[in-house]
Amino acid sequence: MNTEIITKSKKATDQATLESEQRYKRLLASVTDYVYAVMVENGRAVATFHGPGCEAVTGYTSGEFESDQTLWYRMIREEDRPAVLEQTERILRGEEPPPLEHRIIDKNGTERWIRNTTVPRKDAQGRLVAYDGLVYDITDRKQAEERLTRAHAELKANEEVLKKTLEELQRANQQLKETQLELIQAARLESVGALAAGVAHEVKNPLQTILMGLDYLVPNFPAGNDNIAMVLSDMRDAVTRANTIIRGLLQLSAQTDFEVKAEDLNASIRRALRLVNAQVIASKANVVRKLDPHLPRARVDRGKIEQVFINLFINALQAMAPGGELTITTRGGRLGENLALSETASRPFHLGERLVVAQVQDTGTGIKPDNLPKIFDPFFTTKPVGVGTGLGLSVVKKIVDLHGGAIEIQNAAPGGVVVTLVLKAEPE
Amino acid sequence: MKPMNKEKKRILVVDDEASITRLLKLNLEQTNDYEVRAENDAEAALAAAEEFDPHLILLDVMMPGLDGGELASRLQASPKLKSVPIVFLTAAATKGEVYARGGKVGGLPFLAKPVQMSEIIACLKEHLGG
Repeated sequence: MNTEIITKSKKATDQATLESEQRYKRLLASVTDYVYAVMVENGRAVATFHGPGCEAVTGYTSGEFESDQTLWYRMIREEDRPAVLEQTERILRGEEPPPLEHRIIDKNGTERWIRNTTVPRKDAQGRLVAYDGLVYDITDRKQAEERLTRAHAELKANEEVLKKTLEELQRANQQLKETQLELIQAARLESVGALAAGVAHEVKNPLQTILMGLDYLVPNFPAGNDNIAMVLSDMRDAVTRANTIIRGLLQLSAQTDFEVKAEDLNASIRRALRLVNAQVIASKANVVRKLDPHLPRARVDRGKIEQVFINLFINALQAMAPGGELTITTRGGRLGENLALSETASRPFHLGERLVVAQVQDTGTGIKPDNLPKIFDPFFTTKPVGVGTGLGLSVVKKIVDLHGGAIEIQNAAPGGVVVTLVLKAEPE
Repeated sequence: MKPMNKEKKRILVVDDEASITRLLKLNLEQTNDYEVRAENDAEAALAAAEEFDPHLILLDVMMPGLDGGELASRLQASPKLKSVPIVFLTAAATKGEVYARGGKVGGLPFLAKPVQMSEIIACLKEHLGG
């Protein structure tokens, strides 16, 4: 009876143990992480045992690791071996290094990431006898991290691209706004121009009537009445002045016939000076010419450029007291190389472009700084009433713009005004 | 029909502005060198030219209906009038444009309004040889 009880009890115990072992094995088999142990003698690793989970992580079985003690080392990706060796040496020295993440190449040749955590086992004397390791497959996490890093880098790159695109868009928007304003201004000027042309035509007939009326009245009024003579003279002057304004308006608004050819700007200047010779003599001005004899030919409409110079010369002569000095200078060159210009004067051109420059300088009283920004506005004039119409410089500016050139008016340091005219030269 | 004074040159002036034709007539006739017929309508001017037999025609360009250019073509198409000098007198051009074209547009002489009588008379003398 006692033997039967003992036997039944032993059987039950054996069964429980077996079941426990089986549960343990099943548990181990289900784990993708796995444990391993390294036996240490005299500070050297002498044997390793890898748990059954090693096959799921590495593709190699426990048996393969046991029969080839160097398999573990050979499995490590070559670039990561130094770090693994260092970790091992630290463990063997009795240290407790932090977990190490590194790559292995599994049995299928696939690269995997693992996290290797080690725990030393010491004897009663504190000597290292073994260490246990937990290998945790972190491939998915690492791949996710890499994807995140790549995505972050892409996002950063896109952010830079977006920033640049935004800046470009802002610039383009600003340019569009400026172009829109220019178009509005051009449309406004065009309608003003068309209106001006229509008004000019309609006004000319009444002016013709007045002029011919004066022509009839002058010889038919009894002589000797100075007031009548003065009134009739004033009326004729008024008609002349009105006609000058109309002519200026028409020039401003005209769709120009524009014929550009290679011309000698020095010759244009000389012709213009001849045309204003009467004014030069009347103002007792001294004309100084500093004309570059090697000036490149300029691409200009000859008639219109002469008109520009005539206008500039007359302005200069009218600005000076008798005996003033009118200096005309020409030079040529390549912008930024042997030709330096202000920002305003160089705006329409690119560096290295071949240009021709003419400057007209007077010794008058100069222009008030407040007036300089308005100097090219139609009808703006600093001249006394009856002397100018205020259209001259606006016509000059229009002609220069048609040539794709630049004009700048500044007060000269010694006094007076200097006008700088920049035009494109004929290509070599 | 009015008797024509053969010593004076006959000038036909055509402009839709009556004040202009009136003053042209007054100014030209006061020189005693010219007899002037004034017309303010191009169609009427065609008929007047056939009847008046002018030595020269002063012609505005921009007129309602038949404009000066078309009128000039019809005048030059008439066997009786084709050799009569025509001078345009117009508000449509500036003096600069006239000079730039040598005082001619389309081959015909051109005066740009407003123009003084002295210039008109000088132009008449040039084309009439007087």
